[in-house]
Amino acid sequence: MLRELGFLIALWKANLQAAMEFRVSFITQAIGMMLNNGVYFIFWVLFFDRFKEIRGWGLDEMFILFGLVASGFGLGVFFFGNALNLAEVISQGQLDYFLSLPRPVLLHTLASRSQYSGIGDFTYGIISFFLAGKTNPGSLVRFGLGIFLSMVIFLSFLVLVQSLAFWMGNAQLVSGNAQNAIITFAIYPINLFEGSGRFLLFTIIPAAFVGALPAEMVSQFTWWNFLKLLLAALVFLSLAGAAFYSGLRRYESGSAIQIQI
Amino acid sequence: MRSGKYWAIFKTQVANRMAYSGDLAAHSLTIVMFMWIFMQLWRTTYSVSGSDTLAGLTLHHTLWYLMLAETIMLSKPRLSRGISQAVKDGSIAYLLNKPYDFLLYQLSLGLGDSLMNTLFNLLAGGITVWLLVGPPPEMWGWPFTLAAMVLAWLIDFCVNALIGLAAFVTEEVSAFEWIYSKFLLLLGGVLIPLDFFPGWLQQITSSLPFAYTIYGPARLFIEPSLDRFLSLVAVQILWILLLGTLVTLSYRKGLSRLAVNGG
Repeated sequence: MLRELGFLIALWKANLQAAMEFRVSFITQAIGMMLNNGVYFIFWVLFFDRFKEIRGWGLDEMFILFGLVASGFGLGVFFFGNALNLAEVISQGQLDYFLSLPRPVLLHTLASRSQYSGIGDFTYGIISFFLAGKTNPGSLVRFGLGIFLSMVIFLSFLVLVQSLAFWMGNAQLVSGNAQNAIITFAIYPINLFEGSGRFLLFTIIPAAFVGALPAEMVSQFTWWNFLKLLLAALVFLSLAGAAFYSGLRRYESGSAIQIQI
Repeated sequence: MRSGKYWAIFKTQVANRMAYSGDLAAHSLTIVMFMWIFMQLWRTTYSVSGSDTLAGLTLHHTLWYLMLAETIMLSKPRLSRGISQAVKDGSIAYLLNKPYDFLLYQLSLGLGDSLMNTLFNLLAGGITVWLLVGPPPEMWGWPFTLAAMVLAWLIDFCVNALIGLAAFVTEEVSAFEWIYSKFLLLLGGVLIPLDFFPGWLQQITSSLPFAYTIYGPARLFIEPSLDRFLSLVAVQILWILLLGTLVTLSYRKGLSRLAVNGG
């Protein structure tokens, strides 16, 4: 376990060094992403300026929800950037490289790439959280925990969906749609959804576990909420691992000559 | 005869898109998802406010407005990205020495792309909204909306071309592209009809081209009138003339500065 953690840290260090080689691009991407999120959030500022509150959700709740999703997503794609391209890696036979090395294939594949703009998302999320005015230490700890659990569920969902590439071949379109769906649904107040729609967001597209539930845990902590979130993280993590490794048994090498520098 | 080659480029691009109709259908799932979310948001908003009309719009109006706004937004071609890529990988050299006008070539290509995207998005979005809130607005307004959409497309083409041509100088244009798309989302009225904006912001948006690319045609669609159509088209034509002149001048200037890296 410690050995794998050391390996991960070494990978992240290498990714960071690569990012620093193109420092201007790194900073531009991070700032660009913060602006991107900021401009999008103006929609909610205008919306709540006019309608004040919708079923208990106001601007402060949106600051927390958006901040949590942005930080969780940002952290996830910065440290495990290949989670966004896993279907492509599988269908193009690029797993060959990772299979030839004595390290856990999934972990190595996910962490071998970093999306630099993720740092912009992460930073924006923190700013958004502070704008909600919840600056007491308890909220901060819960926010950190929420980010972590949101990230785990989001990454697990991506791995689960993209592992379809082992069976379908080209699963990029399906995974692209699934990725769009989970992010889009996660940044809307859960109270808007009822009945089957709400059920969908807790199961097939687990957006509620990525956004609304962790945000609720930050605002009003209950052990029941925390346990639900923890259980969801464990279930999705197990499902993702099971799907990837059972798919890996069907994997056929691309026989592509690859040199990783 | 001169326009024959551009017609051929347009037809080829349409055929090219049709060859991947499965992809087109899968992409149109995005609008289905957006419309479903918008329905949840606005149904709750109208219900909480206790009023059938907000800012002069009913829930039926708002949903059909958003359907058309999303269709325009999601069906736009990403021309600037293509031009920037061609400059970066040197393939622009092959495009420039062909016996056609580079800008008209891009226009034909983009039109072919957009036509198929628009058809699929209209179909998927239209069916979804029809099932959610009932039939679309009066049919007699559709031809006027279509005309306004074509002019809106031309405004967008001009802005996209200006961003793409910036690649002749800067090579990388994704930042400009990004900023433009955010302006369209917010100031164009993709996420929320501009009627819901405070008065001062509505005044600002009415003096920018973004509202005439998205809001204008979508608003005309839900409440068609000859007056609304004529005043919209007049401003759209003004923007096309202004931006079109800028594109032509930038293209001429850009050609003299272009440095091809490879290819």
